[in-house]
Amino acid sequence: MDWFREGARQALGGPMLIVAASLIGVGGIARDAGFSLEVAVGSTIFIWAGPAQLLFFSAVAAKMAWPAIAVSISLSSVRFVPMCVALLPMLRARRTSALSLIAAAHCISVTTWAEAMRRLPPLPRAARMPFFLGFSAMCLAGTSVSTAVGHALIGQMSRPFAAGLLFLTPIYFVSTLLRAARQPIDWMALVLGLAIAPFAQAWAPEGFDLPVLGAIGGTLAFVAQRLVDARKVER
Amino acid sequence: MNPALDHGLWPWIAMILFGFLPSEFWRMLSIFLARGVNESSPLLVWVRAVATALLAGVVARLLLTPSGALAAIPLWGRLGAMGVGLGVFALTRKSVFIAVLCAEASLIAVGFYVG
Repeated sequence: MDWFREGARQALGGPMLIVAASLIGVGGIARDAGFSLEVAVGSTIFIWAGPAQLLFFSAVAAKMAWPAIAVSISLSSVRFVPMCVALLPMLRARRTSALSLIAAAHCISVTTWAEAMRRLPPLPRAARMPFFLGFSAMCLAGTSVSTAVGHALIGQMSRPFAAGLLFLTPIYFVSTLLRAARQPIDWMALVLGLAIAPFAQAWAPEGFDLPVLGAIGGTLAFVAQRLVDARKVER
Repeated sequence: MNPALDHGLWPWIAMILFGFLPSEFWRMLSIFLARGVNESSPLLVWVRAVATALLAGVVARLLLTPSGALAAIPLWGRLGAMGVGLGVFALTRKSVFIAVLCAEASLIAVGFYVG
């Protein structure tokens, strides 16, 4: 079986449409900030992280200093560390090349990560890497097109629909992860992250709220799962 | 508009230097960090929970302090649409597609109502 093609086929079903639609707005913001269509599409292919792209273009539009832009982008992307460390070992097989690991790490984003957590575990080990690369390639291709469309069409869309596009990531991410949840730890981490967020935003030092929130929420969920497991053993 | 962006390759250089590299650094670093981590180790279970909580935080931030067009929707509209989506998700035995559709319809309806 051609697993690269199978991955691409499964992405085409829905995930690609969602991630592509949710980044239409990036094209528009890039144009508002004075960037050409090519650079907007380039940002999708290179940066491949919606929040970082939004941050970059809106910071340039606000004339933020370049070093400050780089620092805030970097802080927003620290989240890739736990995401990659959780996903890459699932993708690795005996003969996985360094090049494909680099490509896979680059392709990890909110959508591809959440989908991979759900779709990869049942696949044979050797199939996972080509499947993930095919899946991601399709998402990247579709999103490149949508970034260009957003750049060309900005200003012509009514505001409620533009808001709807920005709302896609939150609802899609939460429902995808709830669907992928197999153990209490999965949904507990999600619920705790949502619940702690307002407090982290208020109390953590500027820019550090997400790492702090991730560490606290993730650790609490982990401990709770341990307690559940311990009780099961006792019975 | 930033005047520096008028010159030839500068927009590309700015995007690569201040957008791509600061972000990509973490992905590439993770390749080394992930080396030798066993798929079934407790460490990985913890890391996965941290990643999930972190992304939930990103979602909460988009909902609570949105930017752009989403900011025009009042808080009750954003949370309400999320509630509708999750309610439908539970009722339809975990259909992501129908949940997203209903949440989006509610949010866009609120948008037209307040707009």
